[in-house]
Formats: sequence, C-alpha cells, structure tokens
Amino acid sequence: MSISSQYYPDEPSAPTVNTTVIPGPVSQKAIADLGKVFDSRTVYFVADYEKSLGNYISDVDGNVYLDLYAQIASIALGYNNPALIKAAQSPEMIRALVERPALGNFPGKDFESLLSKILKVAPPGQDKVWSGLSGADANELAFKAAFMYYQQKKRGYSTEFTPEEEYSCMQNQSPGSPQLAVLSFERAFHGRLFATASVTRSKPIHKIDLPSFNWPKAEYPSYKYPLSKYEKENKQEDDRCLAIVENLIKTWEFPVAALIIEPVQSEGGDNHGSSYFFQGLRDITLQNDVVMIVDEVQTGVGATGKLWAHEHFNLSPAPDLVTFSKKFQSAGYWFHDDKFIPNKTYRQFNTWCGDPARMIIAGAIAEEIVKHDLVEHTAKVGDYIYNGLAKLADKYPKDIQNLRGKATFIAFDLESQNDRDNFLYQLKLNGVNCGGCAENSVRLRPTLTFENKHADIFLAAVDNVLSAKRQ
Amino acid sequence: MISRNYRSLISKNSIKRYYLSVASDYFPNEPLKPEIISETYPGPINESKLSELAKSFDHRAAYFVADYYKSIGNYIADVDGNKLLDTYCQISSIPLGYNNPELLKACSSKEMQVALANRPALACFPSNDYESILKDGILAAAPRGLDKVWTALSGSDANETAYKAAFMYKAAKKRGNSKFTKEELESVMDNKSPGAPAASILSFDKGFHGRLFGSLSTTRSKPIHKLDIPQFPWPRAPFPSLKYPLEQYSIENQKEEERCLELTEALIKEWPDSIAAIIVEPIQAEGGDNHASPYFYQGLRKLTKAYEILLIVDEVQTGVGASGKFWCHEHLFDPNDPPDIVTFSKKFQAAGFYYKLPELQPDQPFRQFNTWCGDPSKAIIAKTIYNEIIKKNLLHSTKKTGDYIFNNLETLFNGKFFQIVKNLRGKNRGTLIAFDFNTAKERDGFLLECRKNGVNIGGCGDTAVRLRPSLVFEKRHADILLNIVEESLSKLY
Repeated sequence: MSISSQYYPDEPSAPTVNTTVIPGPVSQKAIADLGKVFDSRTVYFVADYEKSLGNYISDVDGNVYLDLYAQIASIALGYNNPALIKAAQSPEMIRALVERPALGNFPGKDFESLLSKILKVAPPGQDKVWSGLSGADANELAFKAAFMYYQQKKRGYSTEFTPEEEYSCMQNQSPGSPQLAVLSFERAFHGRLFATASVTRSKPIHKIDLPSFNWPKAEYPSYKYPLSKYEKENKQEDDRCLAIVENLIKTWEFPVAALIIEPVQSEGGDNHGSSYFFQGLRDITLQNDVVMIVDEVQTGVGATGKLWAHEHFNLSPAPDLVTFSKKFQSAGYWFHDDKFIPNKTYRQFNTWCGDPARMIIAGAIAEEIVKHDLVEHTAKVGDYIYNGLAKLADKYPKDIQNLRGKATFIAFDLESQNDRDNFLYQLKLNGVNCGGCAENSVRLRPTLTFENKHADIFLAAVDNVLSAKRQ
Repeated sequence: MISRNYRSLISKNSIKRYYLSVASDYFPNEPLKPEIISETYPGPINESKLSELAKSFDHRAAYFVADYYKSIGNYIADVDGNKLLDTYCQISSIPLGYNNPELLKACSSKEMQVALANRPALACFPSNDYESILKDGILAAAPRGLDKVWTALSGSDANETAYKAAFMYKAAKKRGNSKFTKEELESVMDNKSPGAPAASILSFDKGFHGRLFGSLSTTRSKPIHKLDIPQFPWPRAPFPSLKYPLEQYSIENQKEEERCLELTEALIKEWPDSIAAIIVEPIQAEGGDNHASPYFYQGLRKLTKAYEILLIVDEVQTGVGASGKFWCHEHLFDPNDPPDIVTFSKKFQAAGFYYKLPELQPDQPFRQFNTWCGDPSKAIIAKTIYNEIIKKNLLHSTKKTGDYIFNNLETLFNGKFFQIVKNLRGKNRGTLIAFDFNTAKERDGFLLECRKNGVNIGGCGDTAVRLRPSLVFEKRHADILLNIVEESLSKLY
C-alpha cells in the first residue's frame, strides 16, 4: 500500500475546480474582508485547512487543488497528516502551548527528550542545535554565533572584553561592535530581517528602502543544461566563481567572518551548484578562517533525495553551521564545535529561544520520515517526475527550458515572466497549485508523500496547459 | 471589595466564588504556599537534568529545569518537586498562570490541531478562519486608534517588521508618486544608497528592543547583549533618570525630562541621516524598569509630529494587562493622539504590530512579506487570553493587587531596609513594580535567597529587581511574596 493511501485513505483521486476564475467569488470576498485589517494583496486563495487532505488543498469556493507548492515548500507530510494530528493532540503538545517556557532560563523536564528526537535527523557531523523561530531568525542567530566565534578566536575564547569594547559597542561602534562581514551570493535568498536582507540578493523588491550592511556579494555558478553535455564549461564556471569568492575574502575592506550559501538557490531561481563548487568553497573557508554556513531552510528535510541537500556534496569537514526551518516547522541551526557556544551566557539568548510546540511537530516529522523511508521514496518519485517533464520538454522546448533538479526539487524556465505567470494561473484552473521563483522559473515543491499517481495528474495538467497555449 | 463591573457580569450564585478569587476559580488545586522539599536548592535531579541537556543545548542560563505538568496557577514546579511562587513568569510572558483551564481547552480544540498540523503561508494561503481569529482576539485588544495589524513571531521580529514598515513609509513619502528609479533598483542589490539608504531608527539609552541585527542596533541595555555583533550606526538619545519617590522630586524630574526631550530634538536636528522612526518602551524593562511621565511621552509625540518621524511604542514586555491597563502606553499618551505603531509579543504569545496609517502597508505587495507571516496557533491563544482578561476583569484585579504590593513594599522599604533597597517604582502601574539594590551582587544574592525561600523573582538592569507576576496574582499571593521578601532581606541584612 502506498504511503499516501496509508496516511490518507480518503485523499481525493483528482482535483476539482468549480470556479471559472481563481480566486473564486467566496475567496474574493474573504480576501477583501481580511484586507481591511491585514495586508491580503498577496493572497492566491483562502484555504480551508480542515478540508485539505494529503497532497490536496481545498479553498473556500470548494476547489480542491493538487498542491506542489505546499505553503512555499513548508509542508513536509501533507495536510492533516494523522501522525501530526496525533502529536498536536498529545499532552506534551498541549502543555507546550499552554506553558510556553523561556527555554534558556526554565527548560521543561521533557525538553531534552524533545531535542534528542530532533537531533536524530541532524546532518552528518552535527550534534548540537540552537533553536529559533523562522528561517530568517535561524540565519541571523547563526550570524551572531559566527561573529562571536570569530572575535573570540581572535581575542582568545576566555579573554575578558576590554572596557573600550564594552563602551564602544553601546554606541554601535568598533571595536566592541566590529566591522565584520557575511559574504553571500548573487541571487541568494536568506530572509528579510536586517542582516538577512543584507545577504539576500534575489530581487530589489525584497530589499529596497531598507538600510543594509556593506557586505560582499560573490557569484553563484550559472550552468548550462543539460549538465552532461556541458561538463567542461560548467567546471570553468565553478572555477571562475570560486576565484571571485577567494578574491572578495582577501580584498574586502574589513574581515569576512562568515559565508552563507544555499545548496540550491531557491527563491533566486533554483540555481544549482556542483559538488566540486561546494567542496572548493569548503576549502576556501578553511584556508581563510571563514565560518561556513549552509542555509537549508528551503532545501532541507528530504525533498532533494537526501535528508539535507548538502549531503550530496560530501563536504569534509562538515560545514560549521547548518540552518533550517520551513518543512521542519521548527527553526534553528545545527553545529558541532563547542566554540560556537559563546564564552559567556546571555550572549546568544532571547525570551523564548525557540518553541517547544514546533519542536514536537519537528520530532514527529523526523520520526515519520525515518519510519517510512520517505527520503528514498522522494528520490524515486522525483526521477519519475523528471523523466515525465523531460519528455514534455521535447514536445514544448520553448516552455520547458533548463529542466533541472534533484528528486522532487525540480525547476524549469519559461520564456518570460508573463508566460510563467500565465502558466501557473492556467495550472490552477486545471487543478494544480504550483509556485514560481525568480523571474521566469517554475519550482516544484511537493510534500514527501507525493507519489507517481500525483505526478501523473501534474504531468497531464502541464501537457494540457501547454498544448492549449500552443493553439 | 468587589467592583460594580463584576456584579453586572456574573450571576448571583457565582458571586461568592469570584469574590474569593479568580485564581481559585481557575485553579482549585493551586498550592497555598511554596513548597521547597529538596534537601539542597537547586535540587539533585535538577543538576543531573541540566548536565544531560548540556550535551546538545546551551543550558548555562537555566535557573532550574521546570516540570510544567505539575506547575499550576501562580506556582511553577521544578523537577525536584519544589513549587515556587512565580513572579517572573517566563520573563514576563505567562498571562493567566500555569495550566490555565481555558487555555488548556483552547489548545485541545480541533481548531488548534488543524492550525498546528497545517501551518499556512498566511499571506498567500490564509485559512478561512484567520480573519475571525484576528477580529475576536488580537484586533479586539488593539490600542485605541490603531485598527490594523501585521503579525510576526517574537518581540524582535515584531520590532524589525515595524522598522521595515517605517523605512518603506518614509522612502515612499519622499518618492511621492514616482516609481523606483533604475539607480535605486541597481544600487540596492549592492547594499548601497540610494536603494539601500543610510536611514535610521532612534532609540534611547538603556532601551531594549530585541537581539536581531536591526533590533539589536536599537537595544542599548548592556554590552553583553551587543558585543562582537556588527550594528547600524543609529542615534541614541538619553532616557530620563527619575528620582524617587516621585512626589518628592517632581520639579527635578520634570527638568530631567525636559533635558532629555531637548537633547532628543537636538539629535534629530543634527543627525546626518534620515530618521524614519523613534522607538521607545512605556517602561524600559530589561534596562532596569526605568519610568518616565506622560509629560515626556507626550513631548516625544509632539517632537515626532513636528519632524515627521514615526513613533513606535514597544509594548512587548509592558503590554497585555500587567500595568492595570491593557496597554501600558494608555497611562502615558493623550488618547486622541496615540503612537503610530505599537508592537507586542510575550504575554500575548502572538507577536506583531498595530498601526493606523494605511500607508504603513507598503505600496506594493511582497515587500512586507515572509513565508509564515505569523502563526495562527499563537493567534488562537491570544484570542483566548484577551477574552479571559475581559471576562474575568483581570485589568481591575491586577491594578488592585499592584497597589497592594506597592503600598506594602513602600512601608517595608521605608523601615529598617531603607539603606539596602531604593527607588521603589511602578506606583499606579499595576504589578509592573521594581526596586534597586546598591550593587548587582547584592541584588543577585537577594534573588537567590528568595528562590530558596520559595519565590521566583527576576532582575533587570544592573541592580534592579522586577516583579512580573501573571494577571491572576492576588492579594494572598502578594502576602506570601511580601513575607518572603521581608524574610530574605532580614536573613541577608
């Protein structure tokens, strides 16, 4: 019995679309009402989560879509997963919600067992975690850990702060508040708070009008597809980009303390880097004493056919910090070197230091993934989707360009943004909810319980939309 | 005494129960007093639990490992079976006591399970009930005049999203109706002006607004919060240092507030970059429970209007009833002239900011945006908290309890401890009460002694003790607190 039929015996067998426009009339009214008190201009449709099930999301007009966007890549196991509902009903959960602790000061007695469940799925080489609340939060906490580590290494781990450092930091000035940089890559996305927006380089709309740190931006490789045909060119591209990274680290006007990179640049257009490139980066960071942060917020938790996407690269030693959020529901960073725990308490600290309620969900997700071997499953389904899309790319070469991806973490490009947006809208009318990224890319982000039978529906809808477009 | 409000709200046969107390109504099994049963304090199980935790999590700031199953009402249990009266409440973030039955009910509901198992990307695929959850909860509690909300995840996050709203508002005002220029669109991708302008947020000395990079740049509490972290070069104004008791120093204190307002104005005038907003707490909590009068806050409101700067009031620690009003700034502002933005988190469990001006919603979508844009499960909890506060008239009871504590502490500290404990403050601010010791060491010694005697109390600033009990802390709890404060002081001094 397939995993989705085990979890969701009542999952619809096909999408249903009753309205001629999306959002439909009921959604439209709900969006307008919500808009009076909450910015609702970005709403695609208003969902009915009680009625959503497995890989299908329902809206208030009674439309039921096959969901390949899954809340911007953040639903791991499908809607109303029985294991998650059970976790949500558990006494641990109810207690975690009613008595939300200040975890750094008053951890609960079950916190350690909660952590150990999560740590079971830590990336290779990582055995500690610091928890946050979102991807942006996780990345900024990782930056703080990196900056403190970097300065402590310079100063000596146990060396006391100087009075000058203590005085100047209160004025937001050096040496207490030093000029240090995090290097990021063109088209990267790491969040939208102030430091994360400074390393985010995806689109102007994500950053404009916000003060930003003067931090360096390197280039992420731009490959030619199919990869097998352009091996030599793509390796040259890797070398070119690695040289830029090294040069920036050596010549930036103040020290580069850390580097942050996504295993696949997701918001920025699903841009992939090779193992060779990532291994090269690991070497450069080691040689130049730069902390390596891998941002697995969107790529982590199985969708690339490994639990953590950077496992594809065989990095040695393991990256210093690996951040997570989204599909894991809980957020934070993994690490292994004790020196990333600041020398004094209350340096990496805040009221909640994470959320046990979300950790319980993360623990349940981890357990299900392991129990049902969902990573292996996703790798197989991904191959099936990829082969299907490759056939469609032969049929519609202008509309499915640069087909790329690992497991279900697949993307392709259309000719223009307008084409892409129309394609996504037509897919919705055909009962498939799918997302875009960058200017003209389509990204697939289904759950880990997405199967060949769902893939067939998706592929048929793509064929349908593109053949109608051609006429 | 029982207020008229209570009488009109409740039926005759329940009067007796309410008269007794809301806490006994919620928590019939609440302990009558603290119980310290471990031979040593902290106890042995606590120690072993902490060393286990240390393998994977930085545990060094832990006071003790709690048992939240056995915690009830105003009492927090630890793993050694000790039960402490809690006036710290998870750093001021537990509103209705531990294991509150109404919250248990809300958290066991179908609505909650659906919210937890299917966390939506709220701004793209909101749930059909999010509008009503907001309307009946977070928005029903909105400060007067601020009728819209943007939701976030924590106090830092709330403040930073408010800063983003302020920066975008300010830039849009300057830009008028024109679109982004090519130069702006290009420069912003290199983190350079004009697309990424050198704009700033002004904050106050000793203010605390969070620890992410934008919020940390406005936090001015202690070096340990800021050291080694790059920050924005933003302006810092002095916050009034008032002398206590207030009645005795009214002239000096007004002069001090005038001085701070003048220096703030001078800073605004001379600061080289644009100042998009001023952020201020109604009481500077982490920074030492520093108060200022309505004169100061209304002066700030006038200044911000004159210089076209937005005023953000950070109610993360002071909001949700502890001051005896739902929002502490209601004690301080002209009701017809509220701040532009009010941020919240902690006791509300949900976080975000309230605002009025429609232009604080950016001109284009996807500018104030992220994956989750809040958390419906926390909004459900906030709704329950708001409804309980209103239903049980907890603002009134908190005011009464606060007055009782303040008056008794005043008598105690004016007695034989007048050289040990100073600057009792928070009169007419509900239970948001604080006082100072002469040194951090004396303060820390006092807090530890109180814990040994069964009361969990928190510190703030360098030498201050802050009371942050829940809204169901009553006279009988106050009596235990007062006794243990006196007992601890007598033992130490």
